[in-house]
Formats: sequence, C-alpha cells, structure tokens
Amino acid sequence: MSDKTYYFLGKDFPRKEGRARVTGREVYPSDVVLPGMLYGKILRSPRPHARIKSIDFSGAQKLGAVVLAPNDTPQEFFNVRQVSVPRSTYKDWRILSDHVRQVGDPYAAVAAETEELAEQAAEAVQVEWELLPAYFSIEEAMAAEDNLIHDKVYLQDKEIPIQNNIACTREVTEGDVDKGFAEAEVIVENEFVTPRVYHCQVEPRGCTCRPEPDGGITVWPSTQALHNTRILLGQLFDIPLNKVNVIRITGGGHFGSGIHTNPVILITVALALKAGKPVKILQSREEDLYDHCRYPTRYTLKIGAKKDGTLTAGQMKAWVDIGSHHVQALAFLGVLAGWWHSLYRLPNMRYQGVAVYTNKAPTCAMQGYGAPQVTFGVETTMTILAEKLNLDPIELRANNYVGLGEIFWGQGPTIRSLIHSDGVKELLYTGAEKIGWDKRPDPKAQSGRLRRGIGVARGFHTSGTGAPVPGEVKDFTTVQVKVNEDGSIDILTALMDHGGGTLDAAAKLVAEEFGVPFDKVGISPADTRSTGYDVCTHATRGVYCGAGAVLDVAQDTKKILLDYASRILNAPADSLKTRPDEAENEGIIYVEGMPEKNITIREVAQTAMNNDWGTAISARSVRKVNCPPAYTTFFVEVEVDMETGMVRILRVVAGSDAGTVINPALAKGQLEGGFYRGAGMALLEDTDYDPKTGQLTNRGLLTDYKMLGAVDLPDPEKFEIFFAHTYEPTGPMGAKGIGEAALNPVPAAVAAAIHNATGIWFTKLPILPEDILRAVREERKRDGKKAPGKPQAVPER
Amino acid sequence: MKTAITLNVNGKEYPLEVKANEILLNVLRDRLGLMGTKYGCGIGECGDCTVLLDGKAILSCQSLAFTADGKKITTIEGLEHNGSLHPLQQAFIDEGAVQCGYCTPGMILSAKALLDTKPDPSDQEIKQAIRGNFCRCTGYTNIIRAIKTASEKIKDQGRKQT
Ligand code: FES
Ligand code: FES
Repeated sequence: MSDKTYYFLGKDFPRKEGRARVTGREVYPSDVVLPGMLYGKILRSPRPHARIKSIDFSGAQKLGAVVLAPNDTPQEFFNVRQVSVPRSTYKDWRILSDHVRQVGDPYAAVAAETEELAEQAAEAVQVEWELLPAYFSIEEAMAAEDNLIHDKVYLQDKEIPIQNNIACTREVTEGDVDKGFAEAEVIVENEFVTPRVYHCQVEPRGCTCRPEPDGGITVWPSTQALHNTRILLGQLFDIPLNKVNVIRITGGGHFGSGIHTNPVILITVALALKAGKPVKILQSREEDLYDHCRYPTRYTLKIGAKKDGTLTAGQMKAWVDIGSHHVQALAFLGVLAGWWHSLYRLPNMRYQGVAVYTNKAPTCAMQGYGAPQVTFGVETTMTILAEKLNLDPIELRANNYVGLGEIFWGQGPTIRSLIHSDGVKELLYTGAEKIGWDKRPDPKAQSGRLRRGIGVARGFHTSGTGAPVPGEVKDFTTVQVKVNEDGSIDILTALMDHGGGTLDAAAKLVAEEFGVPFDKVGISPADTRSTGYDVCTHATRGVYCGAGAVLDVAQDTKKILLDYASRILNAPADSLKTRPDEAENEGIIYVEGMPEKNITIREVAQTAMNNDWGTAISARSVRKVNCPPAYTTFFVEVEVDMETGMVRILRVVAGSDAGTVINPALAKGQLEGGFYRGAGMALLEDTDYDPKTGQLTNRGLLTDYKMLGAVDLPDPEKFEIFFAHTYEPTGPMGAKGIGEAALNPVPAAVAAAIHNATGIWFTKLPILPEDILRAVREERKRDGKKAPGKPQAVPER
Repeated sequence: MKTAITLNVNGKEYPLEVKANEILLNVLRDRLGLMGTKYGCGIGECGDCTVLLDGKAILSCQSLAFTADGKKITTIEGLEHNGSLHPLQQAFIDEGAVQCGYCTPGMILSAKALLDTKPDPSDQEIKQAIRGNFCRCTGYTNIIRAIKTASEKIKDQGRKQT
C-alpha cells in the first residue's frame, strides 16, 4: 500500500461481476446448454495399472450412443500443461490410451441424448483387462525394472528412456556447499513431508464443445488457460487456429487445477467431432477427485549457520510422487529450488529433486506451486536455528531474508530478476506487535490440558514469471483498449479472473489512467479468436503482469485520445490532463493550469468519429521483465488440547506487501481465503490410496475428504490484516501480486504455533490430532512424566 | 411411471410430470432452466444446491422432486425484487464475500433461512447456519461479515417500516 492518493485505487467498489454472481445469473461451464447437445460420459479405469485386452462397445451402440475408443483419438504424445517452452516440456499424455495408469484414468467415452442414457451406455461397455503391477509409493515405483508406468516419454520431440519410473530429475548448485558447512557453527537437518491435497474447487471440471460448419470448433471449458487450450486443441485435432474458438467463462474455482488443459476438455472435443454435434461433459465430484491434486513432497533440508545467525550453507534433497502423468514436473522441481533459495540468503546451496511416477491421480499446480511445501521446511528450520542460537526468530529472519537490491529466482533457476521493493521488516515488526510476540508463551513453562501458542512464518510469491532474460516459462499478455463514442472504455483481453479481482484491478487502473468514473470501464467478453495470446492467470501474475499489460496498452490508447483532444482544444497533447467528473459521469480532458479549457472524453470520441479521424484504440502484447516478490507474514495463535490433540485457531495477524493495494476488500479476501486453505493443509487435508484396490481411501467421496469449515476458523474480529507501505516501481501504479503469497507461509505458521504450545515440532503435514497425541505421549515417556497436569474441563467452544 | 405435481418456485406455478426418482436439483436446472442452483457433489456434502422449501434451507440434490409438490420453493433467482437486490445479495457484494461465486447462491439461501427466523444472529449462530455450505475461495470471514451487515440492514428497514 503506498501513500499516494488515487481516484480509484485503494478504494472499494462493488465488483463488476458481483450482481451476476449473487443473482444466479453468472454462467459457469456446468450451466452451458446448447440446442441439440449430447451428454458425454467418460469411462474410467477401475484398475490402478492395466492394459485393455479387448473392448466391446456393442451394448452402448445398441442404445444409440456415440462411442469413442482410444484409436478414435489422435495418438500423438503431448503435455497438458503448455506454459513451459517446448525444450523443457515432457510429453507422456494421450487423449485416451489403452494403457491405464491409475484408478479413474480415462480410456473411452460415450455420448447420448440424455445424461441417463449416456450413463446406461457407459455401463454397457465391456472391457477385458490385462493387469499390471501397480506402485503406490516412491520406493515401490523406483524399485521397478519393468512393467513401468510409462514406457515412452518425449522431451520436446526426442524420445527419452524411463528407468525405475523416474519421470525427471533436477540439480542446482551455487557456491561451495562443503566449504559452507565446514564454516557453520550450528547445523539443523530434518525431513519434511507435505500432503497430497485435493484442490476441491467447488465446481467439478467440465466442458462443452460445438463443432462448427466450417470445420472449426467452439469450446466452453473450465480452464485457466484459454490460449494454451486453443493451441493444444488445434495441434491435436489438426484444426487451423483461426477456427478454434475457446470462450472465456467463469469457473467455479481453479486454484491451479486449470493451468493445464484438463483431459475432460480434450475428450469432450473428440466426442463432439466424432458425433458431429455439440457435446457436454460435466465430471462428477468423484471423477474430479481422481483428476488432479497438489504435488506432495518429501525432502531433507539441512541448513548451517554461524553463531551470529549468518547462514553459511544449505542442502535439500526432494522426492516428489507425481502420480500417473507429468504435468510438467521439471518446472516443479525447479521452483522447489527457487522458493528455497529466494527465502533467505544462502551463499552455498545444493539441491537435488527427483520426480517419480506412481499409479495415483496426476499432481499439478495448486496455490503456491511448491512454495507452501518448501516454506514449511525452511521456516520451521529458521525457528529451530533461532532457538539453538538463542536469537529471536524475528531477528534471525530480518537479518537473512532476500530483499531489496538482491537477485532472486523464486520461479526457478532460469527466471532471475532484481528486487525493487521490500516491506519484509515492516511485516515482521508490525505483525509481532499486533499479535503480542514478546508475550508469547514459553512452551516449557506451560502445563494443563489446554495450551496456547503463537507462531510466525513468512514467505512470498513471485508476481508472475517475467524476467529480463526469458526463461523456461512463457509470460506475456495481449490487450486491446478502446474508447467508445460515449466516453466509456472497453478492455479486451484473454486474461482471467478466478475470483480474486484481477479484472476489476485492470478496470480500476484504466479508470485511474484515463480519469473516467470506474463504471465507465468495461471488461469485454473474451474468446481466443478475438484476443491475442495470454499465457494464463497463474503464478500470481494477474495484477502485476496481466493488469499491468492492460495499463500499458491503455496508455497507448490515451495518447491517441489526447492527440484528438489537442486538435480540438488547440493545445499540445503533453499539456493535457484528465480527471473524472463523478457527478456528470464523464471523463474530462483539460489544459494544465487552465481548467476552464476542457472537453469530455465523450465529445472527443464523437468529434473524432464525425471527422473521420478514427477510434482511439490500440492493441499489443506486453511482457513484464520482472516478477517482484509479493511478501507475506502470518502470525497465528492456537490452542492445543493435550488430551484430544485438537487444535483450535484463536487468532490470525496477516501482513501483506502487495505494493499499491488496488482492491482492499478483495485483497483482504485473498489473505483470508489463503489462510483457510493453508490451515487446511496444515491440519486436515490429504488424500491417500488403498494399495489393494488402487482406489482413494475416501473413494472419491467428499464425505471423507475433510476440510476446515466456518466453525473451525477464528471469528472475523480475530482475523487482523495489514498492508506494508511499499510502492513497486516496476508495477502498474506501484502494485505487485498477492494471490499465492496469501497461502505460502500458512502451514509453517500453524506448525510453529503448535510447537509454541506443545514444545513439539511436527515436520509432517497434515498435523492430525492423533499425531499430536502420539507425539505428546512419546515426549512424556521420554521425560518420565505421567500427565501434563491434572485433567481439566474443556471450556465450551 | 410419472406423477403430476405442481412446483411453486419463486411465486410461479409449474405443473410438471415427474418420475419417482427425479431429483429436485435436476428438475430446477434442466427442466425449469433455473441455473442459479448449483451441483457440487450430489451427495449432500457441499451445500451448493441449497434452496428454500417452505422457508427452510434444504439440499435439492437430496430431495426427490415429487416431495416438493405444492410446497413453496425459493431459489436464488427469486430474491431480487423489482430490480433491487435482497440485502443479503447486496451485502455479499459489498463485503467481498463473493469470489468465484459458485457457492454464493446456496450460501445466501442458507443465510436467508437463518435471518428469517433469527434476525440478529451471533457469529456462532451464523457459522452453524452455513456449516453445510462449503466455500473454497473466501475462508468464510467475509461471508460472516456480509451476513451480519445484511442482518443490520434488514433490522433497519424493519424499524423504518414500523
Ligand atoms: S450438490 Fe447438493 S450438497 Fe453438494
Ligand atoms: S466464492 Fe468460490 S467457492 Fe465460495
């Protein structure tokens, strides 16, 4: 939040899509209905690893269903995730394959006139399976010599051999690690484990596709990536890209699960093309649970420091169980190193990452993309180090963090940029004061059944993936900004808003730039035929890269507008200023120092039209050459019941350094939502598999996928949020991102609070009540104590 | 076998023939085109499909259509009156309680059922009333704020009218 004053930035306005969303009129992918549309149903493997020996569709065909077998689809290999450049893209996917690699893996599909009929047709398909050995742990998978999960994988276009189910590896070294550890006076080493969290976006993924008379297709998918989806569809189905139209449609939540083109989209298109009719597929919740999840990690982390707290060296070895497919695990292994290296100055570091296939649901990005995983271990280690060195954990952080003037590469070793704004110390010190850090309990001095603890963790996310030198990840946005003849303005871009307010932010920046009332700026409906490429809204790039691109193009358009105005006002364009006139609902252009010499934007646009000068309009692609760290710090207070292991969250103080805050209420909403999902990852959420059946132990039922609810979170008054007073010089009017930074430190902060209450460090997430009880019991055994004090009655919640 | 029933939805009567196993959620969406009622799980776990049945919040994915015969159903489409939003709808926008918005219709209807019987609920009562409505985006904080704001507004309006 900077101290500059603006007409619109930093103020709250009703969000533009608000009315549609509270009246039930927003159209989500599941709401798309087309005349003559068929309903599709995907056939999914009941086996964790098998090949189809034979398949008989006659029962389905008798019911009049359209059927789709693997050999009806292109058998080309590809990767569903297209944000990486081709040289770093592993390809192990086919739309349908007769080699199934997990329970829930699609192998065929049917379509019929009603959902019921489609279901009956799906049930009528007969399959004979050849069963293959399945692997549910990294150890089992890596021990396998044959019957591998993938026998053929391509890197770009080169076939690469797969051994022991290892999908890819990555190493990063800087400095001299052995020398660094030799210099260390204290070394802390632990193993950390993070869970396989399911995104659980409220709307299960789906798609509708209509084949067009000219051989093209129109597609309404749940996705975060319009243009990447268009390019992949064009390539796989051999349709010229000017005949592939992917429509932007609001999804009921994504959280990263739509950065890749989900299989349901590809299958819907294949079915529609075969049927020659529109087809819609909406996954059930059960199917969705087998479709995607967060990358789980297991890593050892060793960090050495001098007595004064200077870090000397670090070593991390990470294993990632990626499931049945590669959704770009190479990039993921890269960011694990990046998040780690960019949290604290480490002159010497060695990183090794290994991604391993297993017969489980494919893993992909989920809010934070590896940062919550790594931040958990790094922040835990920092507090342990502080304790060993007898330093205040806040000071140790303040002295070692990567900040202003330093190079960082959060998005992996190929994406390096310089830090221009840094509110870290303000976040640490202000937050500490607000929570009462100095009065936090001493775990050793606590007794009794209910124990309180305060924990801190900090972190960041990159605002996009831009850098001076392009790296492995594409990052640019194409925008058109147009002034209409009534002085209103339209923004046309494929940029997406997943609910956080990205497009409202873009509209506010444009209103500010043009000096027009916020209501006069509109967001045009977008599709891929009418817009240029946008990589997608991910990596917390929405405001900084996306809305930043909108602002740059708005400035081009404003130049044209001011040129027209200068002809009318007979004053040089650079003497012209703009301001909103809210009462008249107009934008005003005036001569600086002569406010009486003015004209409305409406009049300028009309005069330009009537004199055939043209429309004030421009379009281009913009790439940001930075991705500034959006820092956050969370202080959390918990109460742990030593008899039941239950953790209650009492209070949260969340600080965010987002530069100029454009939408304060929505930015706060990001922090509250990020906390909720992060606390769920810390305390509850995970998916695991029954190795006997290969099924999820929750069997795909939401009933057994537990998440925190409203009752588990602190009351609104107990959730305090503040923003650092910073201005990002490379950002749009000083702004940077916030989205994923709102979650990244949360699991670590919750674990630290539990430690402060119990004196026990938990290095495996989620920290379940039974884990706490077990650890408490072990601790007592070690200490020879019987009870933590006499049992007390539990106060009512 | 089909049964002839009449659904009264948002004050309008719809005579329909339904099969014994037809789910209310599907009838509302597929036959009446009321797409504001959402599917999130189909097994009674998410609350996206919440509607009001004679003023009570129920899960339409767990209700057979014929059991609603002759009863009054309110869906999210029925809350706006003469172009002006219900105080809950307005408060959800104003308090930033809407992110992706997919949970919003069900959430607002659960809140309405609460405020209709308890105009001045505590935080705890609000949390209990929406415990069956799952929101993945907001972390609930702004939703609770919005429901409180709406309750104030409704009380104010009541005071003005009397
Ligand atoms: S769809 Fe009815 S409760 Fe989830
Ligand atoms: S706003 Fe997205 S689920 Fe509630």
